[in-house]
Amino acid sequence: MDNTLIRMESLCRFYEMGDQTVKALDNIDLSFNRNEYVAIMGPSGSGKSTLMNIIGCLDTPSSGTYELNGQSVSGMDDDELARIRNREIGFVFQTFNLLPRLDCLRNVELPLIYAGIDAEERFDRALDALERVGLGDRVNHKPSELSGGQIQRVAIARALINNPSLILADEPTGNLDTSTSRDIMTIFSELSEAGNTIILITHEEDIAQYTRRFIRLRDGKIESDTHAPILE
Amino acid sequence: MRRFWNETYESLLMAFDQIRGNKTRSFLTALGVIIGIVSITMMGTAINGIDAGFEKSLSMLGYDVIYVQKGSWGSMGQWWRFRNRPDLKTEYADQINRIIADNPESGLEIAVPQMSSYRASVSYKDRNLQQIFAFGTSADYLRTASGDLSEGRFFLPHESESGSMVCLIGDDIATGLFPNESAIGKDIKLKNRKFRVIGVFKKQGKFLGLFSFDNQIITPLNAFRKVFGNSGYVTIRIKTKEKIKVADAREEIRGIMRRLRRLPPGKTDDFSINEQQAFKSQLDPIKNGIAIAGIFITGMSLFVGAIGIMNITFVSVKERTKEIGLRKALGARRRTILMQFLIESLSICLLGGLTGLVIAISITAAIEKILPDFPIQFSLLLIVISLIVSVLTGIVSGLAPAISASRLDPADSLRYE
Repeated sequence: MDNTLIRMESLCRFYEMGDQTVKALDNIDLSFNRNEYVAIMGPSGSGKSTLMNIIGCLDTPSSGTYELNGQSVSGMDDDELARIRNREIGFVFQTFNLLPRLDCLRNVELPLIYAGIDAEERFDRALDALERVGLGDRVNHKPSELSGGQIQRVAIARALINNPSLILADEPTGNLDTSTSRDIMTIFSELSEAGNTIILITHEEDIAQYTRRFIRLRDGKIESDTHAPILE
Repeated sequence: MRRFWNETYESLLMAFDQIRGNKTRSFLTALGVIIGIVSITMMGTAINGIDAGFEKSLSMLGYDVIYVQKGSWGSMGQWWRFRNRPDLKTEYADQINRIIADNPESGLEIAVPQMSSYRASVSYKDRNLQQIFAFGTSADYLRTASGDLSEGRFFLPHESESGSMVCLIGDDIATGLFPNESAIGKDIKLKNRKFRVIGVFKKQGKFLGLFSFDNQIITPLNAFRKVFGNSGYVTIRIKTKEKIKVADAREEIRGIMRRLRRLPPGKTDDFSINEQQAFKSQLDPIKNGIAIAGIFITGMSLFVGAIGIMNITFVSVKERTKEIGLRKALGARRRTILMQFLIESLSICLLGGLTGLVIAISITAAIEKILPDFPIQFSLLLIVISLIVSVLTGIVSGLAPAISASRLDPADSLRYE
């Protein structure tokens, strides 16, 4: 079986800004294997958000190819992209993005609703996912009754629930204090050890240090792509 | 399919959640629909009520009774057109009856004379009633009129012929003159002549809310003449046989009357043949007018309501841009988002519609309690129409915002603050 999960070849993303064309991503060649734990770094304006959108199938490239799990995403329409996001990708956001009126369980099961899973199975799997992030005793709490770290763990549970082939985390610790950030990063490390593929977008070096591959972007191009030395 | 129902069910839950979370806004949104539905149902109820009251009144006139008179009911208020016609004579009744008897194929059963005065007054001891409708007729009157007696009897043929000074009175007169005792056997004064009460009619209610059958006094024709002379207004009441078409009966009566009046061909009728249909054609334009005004008012309020709902749904879409982005990121398709917002506006409209119905039914019940005589009727059809209208309003007003929500770009929406 091919171990490549993501393949990008001469991928570009342009934005029209008035008369100018802004090259947010300029000729990117990049691929990720399964079970990689990657940090994508770069200053603001480097194109890392655009890259995240494309990896997350929230956006499609202007030119070039993007393959996720053997499927070419470039020509897909909105609904096909929605289906791919639903099945292949688990998102974790900087601002958590839980729905405030729903309790943890209902927040976590949301992707399963869009996958057409029955209520009973949804309940079981959401409970499982919450237990995995250590919130089995908070299932009926609403986000407003939880701490920031707990909220982000609920969001991670939501990202896990569909058994995605890729977990995409956009500045997951950006709104958290240092010790909570450490807890969250521990969870990601555990998930990585359990065999998940994780891509982390961050601008914090110490957060990136948890990962094993660092990709630095600058002006829409890959500045460097290094692997962490294997520490024994 | 299961996925569709799953999503629909979840959308429904979310919609109710949203409505509960924004009570004031939801109420204001629903207000347009509430007002629209209340006006639809009240209008429909009023029209139904007019119809029902009208039917009831017409049945008082009798579906099979035709009235030959000097003037026509179909052109009320144009009395001058008939002023120069010769008065009818009560004798026509006997002559018509003779003609009917000679013709075995006649569609007519019997003709009964009636001579009336609108402005009689009656009194008993110190009690006195004005503006009484008094008329004299024959013993056959009951065959051409509805109206049961609550007490006593009608006058007999020999009393009718001899002109006995007896009378029957309507319920209002009986209670007016004899509040605490039976009227039977008492002598009342009609235009200063004594009449003995031999019967009282049951309460019948008003005819079209204008004219009361409970406010009449009936005497034998010859007795009426002794009091009023020959000055009364003459009506010949003619009952048709069963299953005879009104138009055929009218033609026959017309022929007979022209014969009695000796009108040469080419000369127009100098009498009118009236029946309940004439009222119907008088009332239809009024009813249609109410209906058109009602549809207009209702349409306006629903239109305003729909715009309000559309506006608020657009605001709600804007406010929840980030939520929409998240839902799309998690795998919601366009159709799912569309359904969610459509179901939301539909639920608001349906709740508004139901609230409107409850209000309308309460108002109807209140009116019935306060004004028992007011013709009012609530129908199942109105409920069904109201609900359909609410749902349509919901779809029409929710569609545009829902489509715009479904087309939002997920990446942009997620970043929206």
